[in-house]
Amino acid sequence: MMNRKTILLMMFALISMQGYSQKARKLSFVGGARSSVFSNSLNVTDTLPDTTTAKNNYGGYALIDLGFNIQPNKQTEIMGMFRIKNNYGGFWGSGVQFDVRQLWVKGVVGNAIRYQIGDLNLKQSPFTLYNHHSDRLDSLPSIFRLQQNIISYEQFYQNNTWRMQGANVDFGLTFAKYLKEINFNGFITRLNATNFANVNERLMTGGNINIVQSNQLSFGYTINRTFDLKATTANNNLFNNTIHTFDWKLNHSIAQNTLSIAGEAGLSNWNYSEDTLAPVLNDYFVHAYANLFIPSFHANISLGYLNVGPDFRSIGAQSKDVNYNSPTVFFNRFTNNQQLRPITLIDMIGNENIYNKTIGSTLATESELFNDILPFGLATFNRVGAYAKLQTQSKNKLSFQAELYQLNEIRGQGSLALKAFRQLKLNSNIPLHNLIGFSKKLGLQLGMRLQQTTRESEFAVENIDLKNIQYSAGIQYELIPDFEILAGFVQQRNNGNSFITERNEYGEVTYFRTSNYQLKQQITAVGLRINFSPKAYLCAMLQQSSYQDLSTVNDKAMADFKINQFGLIYNILL
Amino acid sequence: MKKTLLIISIISVGLSACRKENTFEGPSINEINSKFTILEPFKANKNSADFETSNAIFTARFNKIVSWKITIKGSISKATKIITGESKVIDASNATWNGSTTQFPLFKAENCTATLLIASENDSTSTTLAISKTKPLPTGARMIANFENGLDPNWTKFFQSGASMECIVKSDNFAPEGNKYLNMGGTVNWDWLIGLVDFNARAYQNNVTFPFSTNPENEYFNVLIYGDPSTNLTKALFQFKEDENGDGVFDATKEDEYDYSIDVTWSGWRLVSVKYADIVTLVNGNPASPNGNKQHNPDKISKISFLQLADPNLGFARCKIDLITFTQNKAIDL
Repeated sequence: MMNRKTILLMMFALISMQGYSQKARKLSFVGGARSSVFSNSLNVTDTLPDTTTAKNNYGGYALIDLGFNIQPNKQTEIMGMFRIKNNYGGFWGSGVQFDVRQLWVKGVVGNAIRYQIGDLNLKQSPFTLYNHHSDRLDSLPSIFRLQQNIISYEQFYQNNTWRMQGANVDFGLTFAKYLKEINFNGFITRLNATNFANVNERLMTGGNINIVQSNQLSFGYTINRTFDLKATTANNNLFNNTIHTFDWKLNHSIAQNTLSIAGEAGLSNWNYSEDTLAPVLNDYFVHAYANLFIPSFHANISLGYLNVGPDFRSIGAQSKDVNYNSPTVFFNRFTNNQQLRPITLIDMIGNENIYNKTIGSTLATESELFNDILPFGLATFNRVGAYAKLQTQSKNKLSFQAELYQLNEIRGQGSLALKAFRQLKLNSNIPLHNLIGFSKKLGLQLGMRLQQTTRESEFAVENIDLKNIQYSAGIQYELIPDFEILAGFVQQRNNGNSFITERNEYGEVTYFRTSNYQLKQQITAVGLRINFSPKAYLCAMLQQSSYQDLSTVNDKAMADFKINQFGLIYNILL
Repeated sequence: MKKTLLIISIISVGLSACRKENTFEGPSINEINSKFTILEPFKANKNSADFETSNAIFTARFNKIVSWKITIKGSISKATKIITGESKVIDASNATWNGSTTQFPLFKAENCTATLLIASENDSTSTTLAISKTKPLPTGARMIANFENGLDPNWTKFFQSGASMECIVKSDNFAPEGNKYLNMGGTVNWDWLIGLVDFNARAYQNNVTFPFSTNPENEYFNVLIYGDPSTNLTKALFQFKEDENGDGVFDATKEDEYDYSIDVTWSGWRLVSVKYADIVTLVNGNPASPNGNKQHNPDKISKISFLQLADPNLGFARCKIDLITFTQNKAIDL
């Protein structure tokens, strides 16, 4: 009897092991883990000493994202990712959060049609569905980029995509003659769910046809439509925003160089079906550019023309990653009056609470401090003008980028006089170790962005002269293999006067508040990083940010403050 | 290639040329920053308002957009209505008054003074308006009690015999509507109950049930309650008893009772409104399952009870109530 039991048990174990080994071929684990500890201290300089705000706070968390990637057959892939997060101080279950972070199924039907259902990372063209990250600093030093990468991971930002939920299909056809290939892509996603009372179910659909005639010519058509589903509530006032665009690209060889002429043009419509107070907005845009690639200099030179109508609306392309109305969470209020602390560089760089995960339904709030020229990237409405770009990289990896935008308003804002915008960006990555023949890696990053907005009106009160300038510098030095010193500095100055636009729920301008700036804010950080592998590191950093309002015009409306932060980040990607 | 460049340039320039913008968005900045002046004086469209037939409209016009506030004050009732806005024109779209109140009591037939305040300009101006007829109850509103005729003998009443008891209909300056209200107060140091009034459906044209609709989503219960924070915390408990089998008797063991308990934590009069469908059954103050068909049936309410409760250990408690009504589709607008 014992022998039979033993044999049965052994057979069961063997079958289980076989099953396991079979499953092991089809099941893989993905995800990551992170532990972060921060200690923050606040220093307020006010006319009356701030005695009401707690000046220190400590916090941190440990989290693990565990994803199961299952391939039940060659054509199908299933991903489910769970998150377990424990804020420090939350033991024995209290403070522990369990979430489903990702859930999707994707596959191929008949070796031709690819599909994905569930969570999607979507983007179309810069005028239809696109996460522009327009307020981000282009030349962010590495020590700050670590924090920005965590935000991108948390909010699922990947190459200008937005995180959405729905279904996506794409397929392509290839041809022997006349055309090379035609690619089709379509999706449907849910933007917001009905509340069964007065908020209708809102969906976004989109599609793209890209026709590649040859390596020299391709063109395409894109549609994006956001709409309310009828009869999901008793509210028959239905929202609609439709964008149709046509894009093209021509490549032409000139000696060893390649000249590309590309662009996109389209129309938008924005309306509510029954709301008589809501405007009906129709407009168009044109974006065209020529790019010359000179391989002998590793250089790209671009010249572009941009014309985006004042009534051009595209909620997929005009949603912002930063939510300027969200609370900063740490040191959210300060001073004896318990003022709301403004969003500053330290938040823009490392505060995930101010970042949106997905697109919004109403026009996002802009910040003239962080981006007054193109707050919605290329899709910023009411802009016409030109730009020039230069990118180059030397043989020893020294790279340099320059960018100049010269734009104007198309329709005045509270004035018949039009604003003129100028933006200049200069960025460089300098591998000093290559230049000076140093054996250890030593990199330097330098960046500058100047934004200038002016308006000259017959009425002096309408004049604007606002200058925003950002400088950044970063250094990365490898002390010993996989052990680096990082340091970074960013300074932003806003000087001059402008008007803050107030809008109603439809995005219509209702008022202009006078603004006067003489602001200086900066952030400095130093840190040490140990790289355990390309996907795992431990970093200790010390950073200080300061905010100074030097203006006498607005009677120092905001108290000056400094935030010192010590942080420890241990990050692993599986 | 040259042709393509030329075509694209022509299209771009052509499209740009299509735009002819000789207007601007939003209010004029020059105007916003100009010196404030009143272009048309502040006035009402009538000297005497009959709110049973029409509304009163205030008008004024300024040279620029300003934040404004109109405060209408009754000379007798001391009732206050506040209308605010941000515009350069005050007209029917933003300053129509239907006789309603912002701060209780309700307006009476009386003279009123309306004052327009432009806070940013430190400027104010006034006009007068007489009320000939006050705002009527909304169409479809069913009055349960406004106490103008005292306590109906067909209502069931019970008042404890504690110290300083004053459970009577009073007529004084506290009346938020009409001239009278129910005052209930006293010290009852052995029981939570201070007093109760049952508003029986039979008291109203001898109905078995109140003439409400069958849809609990459409029926709103409204009452004005006066809080006196200097006294012990009062709980105003309203019970809605459904005679589901229509036998003229409410059986608490077999039929639904829904309860709405209000902690009267505020000072002065306040309007309390609730959708009937949102009222739950309470047992000892905690949500519980009703004993009948477990469905809200407003058309089967046979009795509405008002109980005033207070912690017996904490001494004197008092509240006042008035204008108990049911309205359809929305809360009462007073």
